[in-house]
Amino acid sequence: MDKTQRIIFYVLTLVAGAAWIAISAQTGPVAADDPAPQAGFPAPDFTLKTPEGESYTLSDLKGNAVLVNMWATWCPPCKAEMPAIEKVYNEYKEQGFIVLAVDQTYQDDPFDIMPFIEDYELTFPVLLDETGDIRRVYQVRSLPSSYFIDRYGFISDVVIGGPMSESLLRIRVEEALK
Amino acid sequence: MLEAFQDFFAPPRHMLFLVLAAWLGLTLAERRSERYGISKDDLNNITFYGLVAFVIGGRLMSILQNPAIFAKKPLDVISINPDLLDPFGALAFAFLAAVIIGQRKQLGFWNSLDALTPFFAVLAIGLGLSHLAEGTIHGTPTSVPWGIEFQGDAQHPVSLYEVLASFLVFGLVWRFGANPRPGITFLSFAALTAASQLLLQAFKANATILFEQYRGEQVLAWLALFFCFVLLEGRLRSESNTG
Repeated sequence: MDKTQRIIFYVLTLVAGAAWIAISAQTGPVAADDPAPQAGFPAPDFTLKTPEGESYTLSDLKGNAVLVNMWATWCPPCKAEMPAIEKVYNEYKEQGFIVLAVDQTYQDDPFDIMPFIEDYELTFPVLLDETGDIRRVYQVRSLPSSYFIDRYGFISDVVIGGPMSESLLRIRVEEALK
Repeated sequence: MLEAFQDFFAPPRHMLFLVLAAWLGLTLAERRSERYGISKDDLNNITFYGLVAFVIGGRLMSILQNPAIFAKKPLDVISINPDLLDPFGALAFAFLAAVIIGQRKQLGFWNSLDALTPFFAVLAIGLGLSHLAEGTIHGTPTSVPWGIEFQGDAQHPVSLYEVLASFLVFGLVWRFGANPRPGITFLSFAALTAASQLLLQAFKANATILFEQYRGEQVLAWLALFFCFVLLEGRLRSESNTG
C-alpha cells in the first residue's frame, strides 16, 4: 500500500470503530443489572440456615460489606485461611463487615461441621448449602471461592482458590466497606 | 463440552494455560529472533528479567498502595497470593526491566519488541484460555444459536470469542508478521489486538460506562488503535526516509 492508501485505511478503520462504539452503546445492556457471580454485578441472593437452624438472607445484609466464603471441611486451603478470616472478621465487624461461610454440605460430611467450627473457634455464621443450589448459582468450581460484596449488594471482587492471606483479606474488605 | 473443560481446568489449574503459553511463546519467539537481530540468549534474558520484575514490581506496588495493611503482617510481603500483585505496577516494572536490559545489551527498542511479538501473541491465547476455564466473564444476552446458558438465559460466549480472536491475531502475525522493518511486526500485533478488543468488548455484560452510554474499554481500545496507526505510519515513513 502506498501512503495515501494507508491513510484511507486508517481513517476508515477508525471511523468504523467509532461507529461500532456508538452501536454498542445503543444496543443491549451496557450496565450490569442482573445478578451474576462476577465483580461489578449484584450478588445473587440466597437464604440458607446455620447448623443451629438460624436463617440468613444475603439481601437482608445490604448496608454491610459481606464476604461469602464457599468452603468444605475436607478442603486444606479452606482450613488454612479460616484463622485469617476469623481474625479479619473480628477486626472489621464493628465497621459493618459480615462473613457468611457457606459450607458445601451436599459434598461434605455434616457431622464434621460443628467440630470444625469449634476447633477453629469461628464466631461468624456458617451456613449449609445442602442441595448445591448456591454452588450452581455462584458457579463454584474450586474451593475455597470468596466473593466480596459491597454495602450496595454488588460484588466488588472474587478470589478463587486460597488460602487468602490476612493482608489480601484486609485490602478486599476495606474496598468493600468504602 | 464447555462445562467439562471448565471443570477440568477449574482454578487454580487455569494458570496452567499461562505457564504453557509463556513457554510455547518463548520457544516460537526464539525461532524468529535472529531475523530481528536479537540473539536467543538476549531474548531469554529480556524475558527472564522481565518476568522477575513483573512479580517483584507487582508486589511492590501493592505494598506501596497499602503500607498500613502490610505493616500489620510484614510476612505477607512474600505471600503466594497472586491477587496481591498490582497488574499495572507489574507491567510497568517488566517493561522497565526489559528496556534496561535492552540498553545494556545495546539492543534496538523496536527490534526487541518485534522479536518478543510471538511471545505476546501466544500469551494472549493463554490468557483467553485461562479466562474461559475460569468462567468468570459473562456476555450480553443473545438469541444466537451458539449462545451459552446462564441461569436460564442465553448469553454471548465472550471468553470463547476472545480465544478465537487471539488465535486469529497470532495466525496473522505468524503468517505475515516476519517483517524485517523495525517495529512493524509488533505494531501490527498491537493494532490487531486493539481492533479485536474494540469489537469484542461490545459483547461483555459488564463495562465501565463513559458519558452515561459508551463502554470505556471500547474507547480505550479505539485510542490504542489510533496510536498504533500513528506509530505504524511513523515507522513506515522513517524507514522509507532512511531507505
